[in-house]
Amino acid sequence: MSTSGPNPPGTPQVKALNCPGCGAAITLRSFSQAVTVVCDHCHSILDAQDPQLTILQKFKAAVGEDAPLIPLGTRGTIRGTPYEAVGFQRRTIHVDGMPYSWREYVLFNPFKGFRYLTEYNGHWNDTSILRSLPTVNDNMSPATVTYLGETYRLFQSTKAGTSFVLGEFPWQVRVGEASDVSDYIHPPRVISSERNGNEITWSMGEYMAGRDVWKAFRLPGNPPDAIGVYENQPSPLSADTTALWLAFVGFLVALVVMFIAFESFARNERVFQGFYSFNTNVRGEASFVTEAFALKGRTSDLELTTTSDVNNNWIYLNYALINQDTGQAYDFGREVSYYRGYDSDGSWTEGGHTDRVAIPSVPPGNYYLRVEPESDFGHGTIAYAISAKRDVPQASYFGIALLALLVPAGLITWRSLSFEHLRWAESDYAPAGSGDEDSDNAGRPTGLGIFGKGSDS
Amino acid sequence: MIRNLYVVYGMIVLGTLAMAEYRGWSLNSVNEVKNVPRSVRDNPGSYRSVYSGYHHYTGGK
Repeated sequence: MSTSGPNPPGTPQVKALNCPGCGAAITLRSFSQAVTVVCDHCHSILDAQDPQLTILQKFKAAVGEDAPLIPLGTRGTIRGTPYEAVGFQRRTIHVDGMPYSWREYVLFNPFKGFRYLTEYNGHWNDTSILRSLPTVNDNMSPATVTYLGETYRLFQSTKAGTSFVLGEFPWQVRVGEASDVSDYIHPPRVISSERNGNEITWSMGEYMAGRDVWKAFRLPGNPPDAIGVYENQPSPLSADTTALWLAFVGFLVALVVMFIAFESFARNERVFQGFYSFNTNVRGEASFVTEAFALKGRTSDLELTTTSDVNNNWIYLNYALINQDTGQAYDFGREVSYYRGYDSDGSWTEGGHTDRVAIPSVPPGNYYLRVEPESDFGHGTIAYAISAKRDVPQASYFGIALLALLVPAGLITWRSLSFEHLRWAESDYAPAGSGDEDSDNAGRPTGLGIFGKGSDS
Repeated sequence: MIRNLYVVYGMIVLGTLAMAEYRGWSLNSVNEVKNVPRSVRDNPGSYRSVYSGYHHYTGGK
């Protein structure tokens, strides 16, 4: 047994030992804090508290069977504190005979002690042992726990076994040992309980993105892509949904105020009205011009209303609104048609007697209308009236604005709900119809049932 | 983040709405013609509407 050379205070030191099973060198990074250490050559689990390194267990594993993504001995900084990866274990559950595994990394800092990182399908959690017990409320379904004023809902419970170990552990780790694990979630946090006999260890994890882990440990390359939605993965949208709808309500109030304001302050002034008739029995030029009328105020719309008593008939009016001073014209055509009848389905009607059109952004000035009526020949005389109103608020715009505000809020809410649906589809408490049994990730392992033997029982 | 984007978007929507109402924008299509001769006032038939010759619906059910 030997120790490395002198180090300045506070610098983690490494102790070199030899495996009693195969003689390979064993590095002990956490000193007396380690309870067990694993020889990565012969896969002997050794008693790190015993100077003789008694072999506690030997397990079979292929060389490099499950290489840690964070190599043991790598140092990184988590929440401003330097840690070194000292241990690694793979834990497995079986669902319908299918094994599902996740990986756990033991991190050590000589002053802060142990901390843990877990990884499943590219989803990471930064985990530590709870220093006080949460309050369990198992009268509800699903059960909840309360910790520091936050309520965590039971996501799933399962039996998890240790299937591979490497490095050092602050408990007596054994391959094949199983414990009952329950996860309670309050994204982005999760509280896990791990029952081993009469001992229960509580831990809390907080979701971490793979890229943050890579950055913390300065690992080369890119982290594995995160697959699916993880149990405590924070929704990218749910936190904003409430605020979004509050903003929507604010906009709705503003919309109502604007509607009232425009309805109240718009000129809405009738500037022209004329009554005419069109004799369809007479061929020849039918166009005429109206008397001039003044459009006052700022540039705004002009709403032209055409009404006619057509019955099973139509009248089409070629309009030109002409500024008599500038020669600027707005040319458009409008039709009024009304049909009615009776068939095997009963009576029916089609069309109407009134047509409205808003001519956009008409500058002030003196205008007249050039009107050219058309209809089928020989249908007698069609009476019609034309009226024009200046500066009429367009209610349809308020409808469009309401829709424009509603659609993104609705879409974001829908996406947020879809995210939560995917999350809970993997739970023991999946809502009815969520298709848990058919999901590709059904039976996904709990992420944080970490600790074989804890101290906070 | 999303909320802030939505607030900015909503303000743009309301601003556009206010501008549309104030300036009298319309969804209706009209054809603007410049320099219509003054003679149209006395001779309406001399103006040819771009909409004349429209094929009208004459059906019913």
